[in-house]
Amino acid sequence: MMWRTRRDPRIADEIRFHRDRLIEGYVASGMDRSEAERRAFLEFGNAVAIEESVRDARGRWLDDLSKDLAYALRTLRRSPGFSFVAVLSLALGIGANAAIFSLISAVMLRTLPVKDPSRLVQITRDLNGRPGQVSYVLFEIFRDNVTSITGAFAQQSTTQIVTIGGSEETVAVDLVSGSYFSVLGIDAAAGRLLGPADDVRSSVGAAVISDRYWQRHFGRSPSAIGTSLTIVNRTFTIVGVAPPTFVGARAGSPPDFILPLMSMMSDVQRTQAGFNALTLLARLRPRATVEQALAEAEALYRPVKEAQAAESASRGEREAMLRQRIVVFHAPDGFNPIRDNIREPLLLLMGIVGLILLLACVNVAGLLLARAAARQREISVRLAMGAGRNRLVRQFLTESLVLAVLGGALGLLMAGRVSGRLFSLFTSGRPIELSVAPDWRVIALAAAASVVACLTAGLVPAVQAFRVAINPALKETRAQGHGRFGKSLVVAQLAISMVLVVGATLFIGTLLKLYAVDRGFDADRLLVFQVRNNRAYSVEQAKVVRDRLLEGLRALPGVRSASAGAMLPIGGGIWDRTVRIEGHPSESGEPESVAFNAIAPDYFATLGTPLLAGREFDGRDTVTAPPVTIVNQSFARAYFGNASAIGRRVTTVGVTYEIVGVVGDAKYQDLRESFLRTMYIPWTLRDAAQSYGYLVRVNDGDPLRLSSSVDHVLREADPTLRVVRLMTYAAWIDLTIPNEWLMATLGAVCGLLALVLAGVGMFGVLAFQVARRTNELGVRTILGASRWSMMRLVLRDVAAMVMPGIAIGGAVALLLTGLARGLLFGLTPTDPGVFLVAASILGASALVAGWVPARRASSVDPLVALRHE
Amino acid sequence: MAADNPKSDLLQGTLDMLILKIVALGPTHGYAIAQRLQQMSQDVLQVQQGSLYPALHRLEKRGWVKAEWAASDTGREARFYSLTRLGRKQLEEQRENWDRLSNAISGILRTAE
Repeated sequence: MMWRTRRDPRIADEIRFHRDRLIEGYVASGMDRSEAERRAFLEFGNAVAIEESVRDARGRWLDDLSKDLAYALRTLRRSPGFSFVAVLSLALGIGANAAIFSLISAVMLRTLPVKDPSRLVQITRDLNGRPGQVSYVLFEIFRDNVTSITGAFAQQSTTQIVTIGGSEETVAVDLVSGSYFSVLGIDAAAGRLLGPADDVRSSVGAAVISDRYWQRHFGRSPSAIGTSLTIVNRTFTIVGVAPPTFVGARAGSPPDFILPLMSMMSDVQRTQAGFNALTLLARLRPRATVEQALAEAEALYRPVKEAQAAESASRGEREAMLRQRIVVFHAPDGFNPIRDNIREPLLLLMGIVGLILLLACVNVAGLLLARAAARQREISVRLAMGAGRNRLVRQFLTESLVLAVLGGALGLLMAGRVSGRLFSLFTSGRPIELSVAPDWRVIALAAAASVVACLTAGLVPAVQAFRVAINPALKETRAQGHGRFGKSLVVAQLAISMVLVVGATLFIGTLLKLYAVDRGFDADRLLVFQVRNNRAYSVEQAKVVRDRLLEGLRALPGVRSASAGAMLPIGGGIWDRTVRIEGHPSESGEPESVAFNAIAPDYFATLGTPLLAGREFDGRDTVTAPPVTIVNQSFARAYFGNASAIGRRVTTVGVTYEIVGVVGDAKYQDLRESFLRTMYIPWTLRDAAQSYGYLVRVNDGDPLRLSSSVDHVLREADPTLRVVRLMTYAAWIDLTIPNEWLMATLGAVCGLLALVLAGVGMFGVLAFQVARRTNELGVRTILGASRWSMMRLVLRDVAAMVMPGIAIGGAVALLLTGLARGLLFGLTPTDPGVFLVAASILGASALVAGWVPARRASSVDPLVALRHE
Repeated sequence: MAADNPKSDLLQGTLDMLILKIVALGPTHGYAIAQRLQQMSQDVLQVQQGSLYPALHRLEKRGWVKAEWAASDTGREARFYSLTRLGRKQLEEQRENWDRLSNAISGILRTAE
């Protein structure tokens, strides 16, 4: 071993020098050489023994450690099965923790690479406990009047199609106010960045490109500056390049282009205080606090919301408006919608994988304990030969340390491989540019987990084995003692598994309940897509193109019907209107708020929502025809009771519509909500530019086969149209419940993992017991015990472990499942059915684990058994 | 560790103190320390190599002496020990202790006469 010779202080040399000097002294005093050597040798004694005692004096820690390590590696190599299971258990436990934690680290713990990110704060409206958005009007008020900030900027992140030098490309665009770069404290890498002077509406806007785009598109050529480009009919000139470290202010979506917000905003967006579409980041003045900024912003917001409330149509809206609050919070990570979206499942999963790690530790502790039992002879011999007790415990700990280090390293490797894929599960496959490879925090966590695993898994069996081994008087009962301790470890494993299985059952149950919900439409054989419009149409042009589009879709082979709607079912958003209903108190008093939608003909036929009375919209319902509407069943029942709704009138925004049809209820916003009172108007009656989602129902087969035909139809209608987010409606629905899917999937994986780990632990203990009792079992067989009664002996052991496991785990789960309340649907956290299912799963798994040992017990050959000892 | 906790504090402590005293006179190697101990005690004290070297390394580990390989008077390389600041303080303390102890002991012996 190299390091040992390097650290060796040449003890032998030193002692040889002494002896040689002694000999020289004798020779000088007149002795002949051989006599001198003999004298020196006598006087000196054993040089090697001196050397050893010097080593003792210097301390043997490193020496011992290397010996312990070598010994541990040797013993582990001698039992590869044990080592494999132990290392794998720890690797799974540590790997799962490292993987989830690398997401937490990437999503929740990183800061923006800008000047002093700790002084950045978000000032925004509160949206049900999450950061909402602000309007441009509100942004200007805050930017100009809040004195506890030195500056603020507003931004909106979008993707756009840019035309540059005749080629077209989809790029990530951040629309920002002029103060953006100065607030973030970023300097240009080339040219200039945007400044307050860019907060104007001009015919040619300034554009800043990212270093990455500069590299990709211009090969870092300085001639990029001055290049002009077109985005949605507007012209921009590139004026500068942002530095390579710049990644924007929104985590996970670095922009290619940074454009002046002002250049892309309509008058409405610029002047209406209710047009909340921007995020706002400010830099706190030195020594100013978040509380000061909040107090100022609240005071500034009050008159704004009171003015808005005064304009609100209904009392409900008014009250909701007045309830709105401002929140100010530190945002060293900038805008972080990913964190806001996945924080809850992420933290919950961290808890779950923590339990998995605990389970893995208990598992390894059980394995080590069984091995310690098997190594009792060795331990007794070593103790008898005078090995120190501390030394033995250290030896055990070194073994578990080797296991933990191997497990930790393997786990870290596994985490590195899966963290990317795991992250895409969390973001439902949306492309998010955020490195989730394990960073130093993750490595530190894995190391800490390894140490904890080493101590918990190694110390218990070490102490246990040691306690047993020093008391030979207990010899007769010691195997019994081991068995009891091993069993309680299995009970612990089963209890942890029970908690995890209850969790998995809750999440899977939630998913099943969500899919079992009556949606009011048929998602099978239904294709959905949206259209990106790269040209500014007039209202007339837009209508012509849409009609052409629908005609083209309907003419495709295999298509039963096609339609479009402004708000597709379960799209996540809501469009509501206040209405006055003829013959209802709302006609003259307080108006009613209902869900609203603009749809194309054949909408309900395409969705598969039943028409209960009247008719669907069709070619008759043009912009010049009398306005008509269709309402859903909830609407009709709420306002007309059992009377017919057909022919009744509803007024909204100054237009009176006649009801021509009643349709069945369908989910509007998401699967969790109850049916909303909804009214539909023909899309021809919408004058504003509105984007639509398109629906195509096919006769049979996979609707996705139409993908290329749809693209073709779009280009026929207008060559600049592009298909976006084309998918089956089933996939569309899946995307609306990503966290539920995530928890069900990962919960099931964790539950299964727990069952396997606990099963292995249980199998180990039972097999050990059966092997130990072979003799006794043989005697029982001779005395006429039936095979069944022999199996029952083992199965009774199974029950003795499973029952307390289920009881303890169930009790713990009762305390914990409340944490997941927000992610559940149709089930309470303490649903007895769920606990029953989980208990059955656990019981069944225990039976599987106990089956082989039970069979072995029942088939003991008495002769073999008696010869056994 | 057993080696760090000498069974007889007096004996061990005395050897340590004597070594420190000799090393305090200047950098010295093990052989010279043994020689000088013998000479200075007029052959009353003779230290075994089996005690000397563990003691030297123990003192080095405690930081009371430091060691360095250097050419000896014969030209051959030897390990030279010299006193550290910590060692000098230690020597003074031990010396005071020793004086107090020997005064006390001789006081007792004298009254007993």
